Amino acid sequence: MNLAIALWLSQDAVTNGAIYALIALALVVVFTVTRVIFVPQGEFISYAALSLATLQSGKVPGTIYVLIGGGIIVAVLDGLAALRRRSLKSLPESTLLNIALPLAIAAAARWSASRPDDLLLQVVVTIAIVMPLGPMLYRLAFQPLANASVLVLLVIAVAAHYVLTGLGLVFFGGEGLRARMFPALQFQVGVLTISGQSIGVIVTALVLIVLLALVFGRTTYGKALRATAINRVGARLVGISSEFSGRLSFALAALIGAVSGILVAPITTIYYDTGFMISLKGFVGAIIGGMTSYPLAALGSLAVGFLESYSSFWASAFKESIVFTLIIPVLLWRSLATRRSEEEDDS
Amino acid sequence: MMRRALVLAALALLAAAPLVLPQFQVTLLNYIGLASIVTLGLVLLTGIGGLISFGQAAFVGVGAYATAVLTTKVGMSPWLTLPAGLAVTLVVSLFLGFITLRLSGHYLPLGTIAWGIAIYFVFGNLDFLGKYSGLAGIPPLTVLGWRLGDERAFYYLIWAITLLALLVTRNLLDSRNGRAIRALRNRGMMAENFGVDTARLKIIIFVYAALLAAVSGWLYAHLLRFVSPQPFGINDSIDYQFMAVIGGATELWGAVIGAALLTLLKAWLRDLLPRLMEQSGNFEIIVFGLLVIVMLHRTRDGLVPYFARLIPTPAQRLPKKVPPLPPRTQPKRDESLLQLKGVSKSFGALAAVKSLSFDMRSGEILGLIGPNGAGKSTVFNLMTGVLAADAGEICFRGKRVDNLPGRDIARCGLARTYQHVHLVPSMSVLDNAAIGAHLRGREGVLSASLRLDRAEEARLRQEAACRLDWVGLGAHLFEAAGTLPLGSQRMVEIARALCADPLLLLLDEPAAGLRYLEKQTLAKLLFSLRERGVSILLVEHDMEFVMGLVDRIVVMNFGEKLAEGSPREIQSSPEVIEAYLGSVE
Amino acid sequence: MYRKLLLAVALSVGLAGTAAAQEVTIGLTMGTTGPGASLGINYRNAFDLMPKTIGGYPVKFIILEDKTNATEAAKNGRELITQDKVDAFMGSVAVPSTTQLALIANELKTPLMALSPVALPPSKLEWTFIVPQPTTLMMSAVVDHMKAHGVKTIGYIGFSDSWGDIVYKSMQELCGPAGIKIVTDERYARADTSVTGQVLKIIAVNPDAVVVGGSGTGDALPQISLVEHGYKKQIYHNHGTVNREFIKVGGKDVEGAIAPTGPLMVAEDLPDNNPIKKVALNFDRRYEKKFGAGTRNAFAGYSYDGFLLLNAAVPIAAKTAKPGTPAFRSALRDALENVKNVVGTHGIYNMSPTNHNGVDKRARVLVQVQNGEWRLIK
Repeated sequence: MNLAIALWLSQDAVTNGAIYALIALALVVVFTVTRVIFVPQGEFISYAALSLATLQSGKVPGTIYVLIGGGIIVAVLDGLAALRRRSLKSLPESTLLNIALPLAIAAAARWSASRPDDLLLQVVVTIAIVMPLGPMLYRLAFQPLANASVLVLLVIAVAAHYVLTGLGLVFFGGEGLRARMFPALQFQVGVLTISGQSIGVIVTALVLIVLLALVFGRTTYGKALRATAINRVGARLVGISSEFSGRLSFALAALIGAVSGILVAPITTIYYDTGFMISLKGFVGAIIGGMTSYPLAALGSLAVGFLESYSSFWASAFKESIVFTLIIPVLLWRSLATRRSEEEDDS
Repeated sequence: MMRRALVLAALALLAAAPLVLPQFQVTLLNYIGLASIVTLGLVLLTGIGGLISFGQAAFVGVGAYATAVLTTKVGMSPWLTLPAGLAVTLVVSLFLGFITLRLSGHYLPLGTIAWGIAIYFVFGNLDFLGKYSGLAGIPPLTVLGWRLGDERAFYYLIWAITLLALLVTRNLLDSRNGRAIRALRNRGMMAENFGVDTARLKIIIFVYAALLAAVSGWLYAHLLRFVSPQPFGINDSIDYQFMAVIGGATELWGAVIGAALLTLLKAWLRDLLPRLMEQSGNFEIIVFGLLVIVMLHRTRDGLVPYFARLIPTPAQRLPKKVPPLPPRTQPKRDESLLQLKGVSKSFGALAAVKSLSFDMRSGEILGLIGPNGAGKSTVFNLMTGVLAADAGEICFRGKRVDNLPGRDIARCGLARTYQHVHLVPSMSVLDNAAIGAHLRGREGVLSASLRLDRAEEARLRQEAACRLDWVGLGAHLFEAAGTLPLGSQRMVEIARALCADPLLLLLDEPAAGLRYLEKQTLAKLLFSLRERGVSILLVEHDMEFVMGLVDRIVVMNFGEKLAEGSPREIQSSPEVIEAYLGSVE
Repeated sequence: MYRKLLLAVALSVGLAGTAAAQEVTIGLTMGTTGPGASLGINYRNAFDLMPKTIGGYPVKFIILEDKTNATEAAKNGRELITQDKVDAFMGSVAVPSTTQLALIANELKTPLMALSPVALPPSKLEWTFIVPQPTTLMMSAVVDHMKAHGVKTIGYIGFSDSWGDIVYKSMQELCGPAGIKIVTDERYARADTSVTGQVLKIIAVNPDAVVVGGSGTGDALPQISLVEHGYKKQIYHNHGTVNREFIKVGGKDVEGAIAPTGPLMVAEDLPDNNPIKKVALNFDRRYEKKFGAGTRNAFAGYSYDGFLLLNAAVPIAAKTAKPGTPAFRSALRDALENVKNVVGTHGIYNMSPTNHNGVDKRARVLVQVQNGEWRLIK
């Protein structure tokens, strides 16, 4: 291995690490607020990437039907709940949010599909499609079980992952898609060619780390959001309902997923099922950060990126074996470093 | 009676099934059996022991590949490859267990995912395992010269093993170690305080679950006679976890119900969906995921606990009189029993206990009082090995104990109750109390699985029943502990501590939540204990209760000893009054 | 339950006419989800175009999903044979699944049209007929091209699955006699977001050519990455690669890629005297009419060729036994073993007891990406 190869590998590692970091951040957000280990985070990435690529080929992506269908189910459930409470006050808002909004987004998608060269519009529409899926998913799958054990929530998350992957296969087919490069920004640094795209990934990850760490660590509101995970009643007393904070965290996760999807779509081929493995690696990063620290989660993800990049050079057939085996000692170290009292794990 | 009838009926149905069912239904039942064996391990590991594993399919793979390689490449008999496969699994699972079971909280599931994936890729990359294309040519099993080439014949083997596994696991849980296993989830610290080596037990159930998975793998290999890496990947591990959760991860039968339900559901969807829509394959997984979500919304503890409520539990009775457990010899009265010398403990910047020293003599009832947050419970935790002291020494009968793990301190004769009740809510009152007698039995996991521990078990249960009778719960032995009122739960805790036959009993606010009459009974009980030579250290808020009971009092405030003396001296101490009423400014 | 109901209805209706008793039942187990989905969907799609009769008898297809999982495939195989009493069955998308089916075909004595390669010795394939061309036959076209262009060393990068293994193994078999050295065996997963490490290793060795052993769009990533990192020599693919999505994803980076494939992919470019042309063109047109322009693919062709083989064998078997009986299945097997000159979309099949595949060099062509299209190399 010479220096050039080492540099190339490191560049690759940093880009991949940044993608994992984006996942890890979303996982940490969701976990700190809802205790859900959010396996389907990767699906947001593939949904966004595939939707973008589909829009670019002049077609309306099938994710729009997921959005409309999900919205209708949410609206019906909300309506039933309202009937049971005998108060229809919340109904207009729910209808607007869950039926009118998806329809409007569908119209926008149709318009965007007719303008395959309008990149900005495609990006906006893609985010508009993917982001509302987060809160919908929370409402449908997790909210009814908000105080269940972490294991049950995890199983629900895996089931949701199955549903979303299945829908992805129906709407996008088994073959992969790749979006067009954004206006070709390329720098030559020594032997390295650096694309604007990979810089975008890294910068987004960095900005998000700082933002999230600030919001959740410094602001009262962020702290209160975190508190809902630990103490639901207490959070309600200070005026934050766990339902609202759950939806908010899922919306945030979906937003992060959508942005990451848009950023990686031109760098690599994305399949309907790409999300799972990426999620797992992001999960590794998040775990290294103890599921609570944003900067550590990002560093952990970066470590996974490096491990993966170098092992794919040395022994590509055993890449996953190497990555996941070497993770174990790290986990061990983290676990011993953050030995918690039993009460905290009690759930 | 009804339970027994149900079990017999189920057995009869199982035995008759292959004779009357169409062949494909037998095939499905075979798969259900295979999955049940793996899921049973998960129920024990995850549902009961609280250890989440997403790597079970890898152990199935180890069992399957072991026999595949040994029969096709070495020509070994399948009946020899079973123990060989189990031996390999034992080594692998011991190794992985030693590493990953040290992981706490959500590190554990990730750890299991990690080695689950690693093992899968190892299967796919090794030449002698046939790489990704797999190994074919595995011979069928023969039993006494009878070739089990047919699915119907294989059925009986699979289900015999499944039932055997259920029986052995039930036996294991219904034993001294079984109670400790049920305490592992959420109550590990309590178990340690009563002498349970929880780390060792975790490894045991981990290895046990892995061995069950390997047995299933061995059966799988000989049923399908071909192995490839795909069925041993992360997705199948997830499926097993699904089965455990949906069946009801806290009940052994949940394993069979969950395995049956998921297998049948998939088969049914596969048949039904093509009739409803054109591109059916894609929808199967969607509908499956949705059904899982809906099912868990309706019955979050799984199906078996949900339906188990409908079947009346059999009236349980204690066995006839057995000789009681030998009691410990209590020390002579007024010997030095417990010494705290300059003990300190701080949590970050907060000093919970500051250089605390006091002595206790045998036969004494000592009260430890102080305002909220004075550090009383921390003292208990330091004495029982829950927390490690930053400085100072704690000696029990002259032996230093502050550096010992909780289970070794328990051996010295300390038993405690907790400020917040630490019972296993789903377990019966009797079993909860019997955990206290853990150190008074010695039968192991193996003898329990084979039901060789009955004599000792009867004595342990009799001891528990007797102590529960003392505290006035003799009529509630077989109720789930979690259903009792809080006051009674506290009494169960005391009974549990008494089962340990302690020299020193540590009671953390035993009177909280008790009514007046109950307090009277408790006081009487404590007096009678003292008569028997048991020393008692008591943390309590109810001053009237304390003053009428104790010989001496230590008062703590802000982690320090404020005063020490007889109840009368304490009641008249101005510092104590100020600490309790606050300074008037 | 549902099935029983259906059976009852079928019985009450079916008693009226005896034609139903003569119906031939064909099963399929296919992985249209899971890791093989991208190929499995294509195999499955062909069944939407299947004729209503086979060898003059009404035909019923029963299609089951196996999620690219060998255990599920085995379950399906048993269901098809023991419950649905199929006369023959087809499947599946991945080598382990198909291998499992071949074992079941032997055990339960029902002919199997294997739609992917099988990892079993010929002695275990008594009831199995393999529709796709042998991998060595296809890759030999690549090796011939290499020899003609003076390639001495090649780098290999393939999927970390059975397909990656098979392509590598066939390259090993072919390259030795041809005097070509394989200098790397790199692996990647279809869903990997990057293959930079593997590609850098290949570039560090700088072989005369690279062979990619993946399938469909999954093959584009290594080539894009190789080109990105400045590799300028020839890149070869395999017969799992060739479809339109590959070019769509790869864009200008895959220009010049060479791969072997069956004749149906370039039916228009075949000479008119090639008997395959008519069959292939006809199938391509019907397929693209239903699924859209440019959707033709080798996998749907395998399904269809499996059908054509059965189509040729059924009338012969029907002379000795009635469909739905063990005797018919056995007769069908014997008939399949002796079919001659069955023209399919991929080749001309001549089976014999020692050859359960029966295609020859006419079943392979070399194609190249030229101006964003797969074109025949003449």
